[in-house]
Amino acid sequence: MVATTLSERGRKLLRDFPALGALHQHDRRGIEGLIDLVERAAEYNRTVALPRALELDERMEREPDYFDWEMMREACKYRFFSLAIPEVIGGLASKYMVTGMALVVEELCSACGGIGLAIAAHSLGVAPVIASGAMAHWDTVLHEIVEEEKKGNPVLMAYAITEPSAGTDVEEPEFLEVAKIGLEAKKVKGGYRVNGRKCFISGGSEAKYITMTAATDRSRPLETWTTFLVERDMEGFSTPRVELKMGQRACHAAELLFEDVFIPDSHVLGYEGDGIENGILIIMAASRGPVGAIATGIARGAFEHFLAWTRESANGKRPIDEDRIRMALADMYAALEENRGLYLGHSLGGDALFRNAFTHPIFLSAFMIPRRVRASKPYASLLNSYYGKGLVNILFRYFIKDDDATDMLAKASLAKFACADNAMALVARALELMGATPSPERRWVEKAYRDVKLTQIYEGTNQLNRLALFNAEIAGTLKIEIPGPFKKGVR
Amino acid sequence: MARLPEFREEQEYRILRESAASYAANELAPQAEELDLEPAAWRVKKAISKAGELGMLSALVPEEKGGGGLDDYAFCVALEEIAVEEAGIAVALLAHNAALLPSALGEFEGLITGVGAESYPACLAFPGEISLRDGKVSGKVPFAFNAVDCPFITLIPTDEAGTRAATVSADATGVSAEPEAYPLGLRAACPGSLRLEGAEPSNLISGGNMLEAVERALYLGLAAVSVGIIRNSLRKAYAYARERYQAGKMIIEHQQMRLFLAEMLAGVEEGRSLVREASSSPELAPSMIAWLRNTARACQAATDGVQIHGGYGYMRDYGMERLMRDAKYCQMYPSTSQEALLRLLDMSETG
Ligand SMILES: Cc1cc2nc3c(=O)[nH]c(=O)nc-3n(C[C@H](O)[C@H](O)[C@H](O)COP(=O)(O)OP(=O)(O)OC[C@H]3O[C@@H](n4cnc5c(N)ncnc54)[C@H](O)[C@@H]3O)c2cc1C
Repeated sequence: MVATTLSERGRKLLRDFPALGALHQHDRRGIEGLIDLVERAAEYNRTVALPRALELDERMEREPDYFDWEMMREACKYRFFSLAIPEVIGGLASKYMVTGMALVVEELCSACGGIGLAIAAHSLGVAPVIASGAMAHWDTVLHEIVEEEKKGNPVLMAYAITEPSAGTDVEEPEFLEVAKIGLEAKKVKGGYRVNGRKCFISGGSEAKYITMTAATDRSRPLETWTTFLVERDMEGFSTPRVELKMGQRACHAAELLFEDVFIPDSHVLGYEGDGIENGILIIMAASRGPVGAIATGIARGAFEHFLAWTRESANGKRPIDEDRIRMALADMYAALEENRGLYLGHSLGGDALFRNAFTHPIFLSAFMIPRRVRASKPYASLLNSYYGKGLVNILFRYFIKDDDATDMLAKASLAKFACADNAMALVARALELMGATPSPERRWVEKAYRDVKLTQIYEGTNQLNRLALFNAEIAGTLKIEIPGPFKKGVR
Repeated sequence: MARLPEFREEQEYRILRESAASYAANELAPQAEELDLEPAAWRVKKAISKAGELGMLSALVPEEKGGGGLDDYAFCVALEEIAVEEAGIAVALLAHNAALLPSALGEFEGLITGVGAESYPACLAFPGEISLRDGKVSGKVPFAFNAVDCPFITLIPTDEAGTRAATVSADATGVSAEPEAYPLGLRAACPGSLRLEGAEPSNLISGGNMLEAVERALYLGLAAVSVGIIRNSLRKAYAYARERYQAGKMIIEHQQMRLFLAEMLAGVEEGRSLVREASSSPELAPSMIAWLRNTARACQAATDGVQIHGGYGYMRDYGMERLMRDAKYCQMYPSTSQEALLRLLDMSETG
């Protein structure tokens, strides 16, 4: 039963995602908020993404350094850079942060995987600032993002964990322990001196703020893994190159170079040494579902173009009139449904993981202090002090429980690899069935073929995600243990 | 690279393999990236001209007609070796030789012009609806290789049961060619579409079943090119898997990586056998089967090869992603796989 007062897209969304339809019966406002987000994304696609997707993709093969700031400025109007920022600081995230993210990302990627990634990578960068409970930066950095967004200026973030010699290794504690780590953030007075490189960082060359995880001692990466907030103006920081990607080109994959960069103590997110949990596993537990949604969006876009092709007639015959094509369409539709079930299941679970933290009275009470005070230096140093961090940590740990986080990591990893594999197969099959037909739709599907491959690689390769599911769920050997309050440094 | 079990072949093929491999390594490997990114006509022509020494500019034309006189298997051997370095050039050569095929098979009516080893790469306008009326050809060809900047185009009018072929000079009136706006792969083979409106053929050639002959050559040739792509995927991924360390060991020690590589290895062997079988049969069906299996294998091998390379596989510098794009186009031409499968059943029922 779907309320008739909803827009057509709203009704379709509730039909496409029956779980949301069911939830709508209990929480109209919350679910209609999600519908509103998806409608914004659809509008952005129509006016911004679709008209430029093909041209931008082709241009960035020839001019990899080019970046389309206009599409990001346009995205400000839709407030896509506030999706992961809690409402209390002016953002859009409330009860359904993860789900909203996933739905928006599917919608955007159905038009262009690259543009979708450019927008999503920002929120991935925001996530550790939220999840680590680094409230000292909420009223400065996150507030700036929100305020500038309202003025149409994209202030972007990125998330940097991968190093040239460690990709899979930084995503799993067992591997991190033996990983060959190149970048080091050495403890010095008042902060850390960082030297080394990160690579493949989506949006890294455009971001003003980057959340980075790194070892403070390269010989003990697991124990000393720590999450930092990097500002692009920090001396010695640069982004010397961007990659020439096969697809999702609208978003740069950048190399980050740190040459004696000083990061002050205040820019440690969470505690020194809790980086694998706070900086990676919790983030992955929330973000891998949305990556499944990226794959689903790309596949859905390909499906829609394929469907349009089946209705084109060549010599009076239409592919859709053939049995085998109908069978294939049904298979593809089934794969999309399966994907949506997977990523939505995870995303709703992910939101449950945070136990309505962002709308909870305990949480909200922390924001009764006037913003002027919250954004002040003394308040920030209070929050950054040993006791300040401990207290915020108590608040956060009230909401996030280890077992739930572990469970969510397993589901997220499952959604990620299964959605990506389904999407890859769907797009490959669509092209196989189209063959070299002269249709404008084929080019879109070819682009989707290039775009979708990436979803099997980033956010942990699909092999790593299988291992994560196995370890966290089947064998039960991987457990997220979020550090308790008043954790000491690692030395 | 991974050493393959020696494939049993007669001496003459082995020698050809070696010379084709050295042509590919010397002429194509150094510019493989340019041939994909900026496949300018001059670059392609220059690369192809050197293949003349292998007899690859008129491979299927008998020696007595002045051609390279390679048998079908020898042609496939050379294509495979060339495709190991640059599948686009291999396909350009395949299309060129398929365009010469009617002149190799048939009797000429009138003077043969523009058909020669020097005029490369020629375009085979296939498949498409082509009619020959009052000595003029008309029709549309939605997708063909070497479509632009070619010296001449070979067409097989479909209204004549495929027993005649026509060659048309590319600059004849009534001929227009449009390059594919943004081809996914095989860019050196310059995919594009053609339109013919009452164009005057420079030659008419008759005899035999031309349609089936060119079709067979395309399926067979692409099956061989696909083996080359699998080999390249295997070579690159195997080398990378031994140089990349994760979790404290070479990634080749992770079983999933080994399984990917082993599939590729099996694919090379199986693929070559299918090509060998098909090239000794005059029938179309075995070539179609070889194409069906090998192109699917090549798509998988290239995709897995990218996966083995992790993030690096997705980047142009490592040359892996190109294989994924090239392999896919091999699978999408000259028909779709399901169309081929459906015909296969018909062929065996009627035959
Ligand atoms: C376009 C793009 C954007 C990206 N964006 C970001 C970003 O914004 N931020 C960021 O931090 N990172 C980013 N990444 C990095 C991405 O997460 C890594 O590429 C990925 O985790 C894989 O790491 P790798 O590339 O080093 O591959 P490797 O880890 O070297 O893996 C190579 C192969 O070995 C396999 N393998 C490795 N270890 C094991 C094992 N223990 N068991 C079994 N198999 C194994 C892998 O599955 C893979 O097939 C991006 C990557 C790309 C390509």
